[in-house]
Amino acid sequence: MASRYLIAVSIALVVVSLSFAVAYGALGASVPLEGLRSLARAYVTLAYAPWNRTLTVMSPEAVTSIVWDFRGVDTFFETAVLFGAIIGTVTLFRGIKPSARIGEGLSAIARSAAAVTAPMILAVAAAIALHGHLTPGGGFQGGATAAVVALVILVTFSLGYLVSGLSKERALMLRSAGLLGIAAVALIPPILGGIVFQNQAKELSQFSYPAYIGGALTSGSLLFYNLFESLAVAAGLTLTIMLLLSPHEVVEEAVRGEDHERI
Amino acid sequence: MNEFEVSLSLIVLFSLFANTAIALYGVFSKPNLVKKLISMTILSDTANAFAIVIGYRAWPSPEESPVPPVLTNISGGYAAVQELAQRSVDPLPQALVLTAVVIGLAVTIFLASIILHYHRTHGTVEMVVSG
Amino acid sequence: MIEPVNVALGLAALSAVLSVIATYLAVSDRDLLRALIFSALQSTAYAIIFLVLMAPDIVLVYVPVAVGIYPAVVLALIKRVGRFEGGEGGE
Repeated sequence: MASRYLIAVSIALVVVSLSFAVAYGALGASVPLEGLRSLARAYVTLAYAPWNRTLTVMSPEAVTSIVWDFRGVDTFFETAVLFGAIIGTVTLFRGIKPSARIGEGLSAIARSAAAVTAPMILAVAAAIALHGHLTPGGGFQGGATAAVVALVILVTFSLGYLVSGLSKERALMLRSAGLLGIAAVALIPPILGGIVFQNQAKELSQFSYPAYIGGALTSGSLLFYNLFESLAVAAGLTLTIMLLLSPHEVVEEAVRGEDHERI
Repeated sequence: MNEFEVSLSLIVLFSLFANTAIALYGVFSKPNLVKKLISMTILSDTANAFAIVIGYRAWPSPEESPVPPVLTNISGGYAAVQELAQRSVDPLPQALVLTAVVIGLAVTIFLASIILHYHRTHGTVEMVVSG
Repeated sequence: MIEPVNVALGLAALSAVLSVIATYLAVSDRDLLRALIFSALQSTAYAIIFLVLMAPDIVLVYVPVAVGIYPAVVLALIKRVGRFEGGEGGE
């Protein structure tokens, strides 16, 4: 018990000193700031600036511009971490096949309500993902919202119902298709004489994705990145949820089989 | 900013620090792995919230709120963008937190499956060293 | 007359205090299911803070993740490993 009090006291000391430091300006300024940092000002003013074509992203949404253009490589490697975690989960559950046997699910009322709301949530997810370059939203948000649909179906209908529509292999395939799409959109510019992750034309390389398609503002590559990222995130999260919630007996069977192989 | 507004934002900051402390205590001293997982997600959420608080800005005037870093008047030209920069909050912490939240979820699912396998092998999730 | 700035920052401060209470209950409760519900309550308070601090992008990603998927995942975990801390739990 003495060690527990020691832990509590030391954590309290660290937190009190940290908060004291922040309250007296350790971040270089008071929180919240009075104005905007110069870096943030540059991001906000350059996100949509048709009068400065060599520096702009042509998207009114500054956050999505940072995610996929100003700091595109950063996001690429964060996506790599995300799918590293998903692949780790899939590896832990290797050899497990979620069965497509359709169970009972919840009552008829709950199932009808889910049947009405699930397509609506999916439509909202698509709107969030595809309008990500115009309004708050984007690939990560749309993908996470779409994964909720899989969860609703899994709880109200059954795991078998979800698996009969979206098997493990198909989810893996969708996820890989999303990742390949991101890689393709990032690698098309260098093939055509630009630089990796290029969106609009720069001083040194004139390659540019079209900012307008048929008169609608699509902000060059941002639309495609959001589309593929939402596909990859939704499929990856659905896959891991499906594996984590698969029945105990199925997992037990697979683990036992592994032990026999080792012997 | 007057005294009252400063004290309100300090309440937010100190609450986040208190959450950090409680969550760290949970991670260090609770023997149950599931409790450790819950505490760790609270810790990472608090770090994200702290980044958002740093990206916030003081109100330009008591009636005029800061706005999200999204240009709504797209046909307004240069003047509209400059006006947005006068009122917008910092977009960079938001962009960093955005990916961190989704990665945090994937890591949580990964840890949950590790805990599940631990329970399958050892029959318990309590991390108590006997003796 | 109450000024809008005080309403907004006051809402953020209220949610922050609520989140401290929820976090304390989540860490101290020995019932993991109740701890999970308090953790979801803390997430809701954070979502309100994000909304007041003008981060709609974060709200859009945080609500489905922290109030939707994360409790379901931990709920499935609790169902397997047992509901109470310190017990020889589980199936």
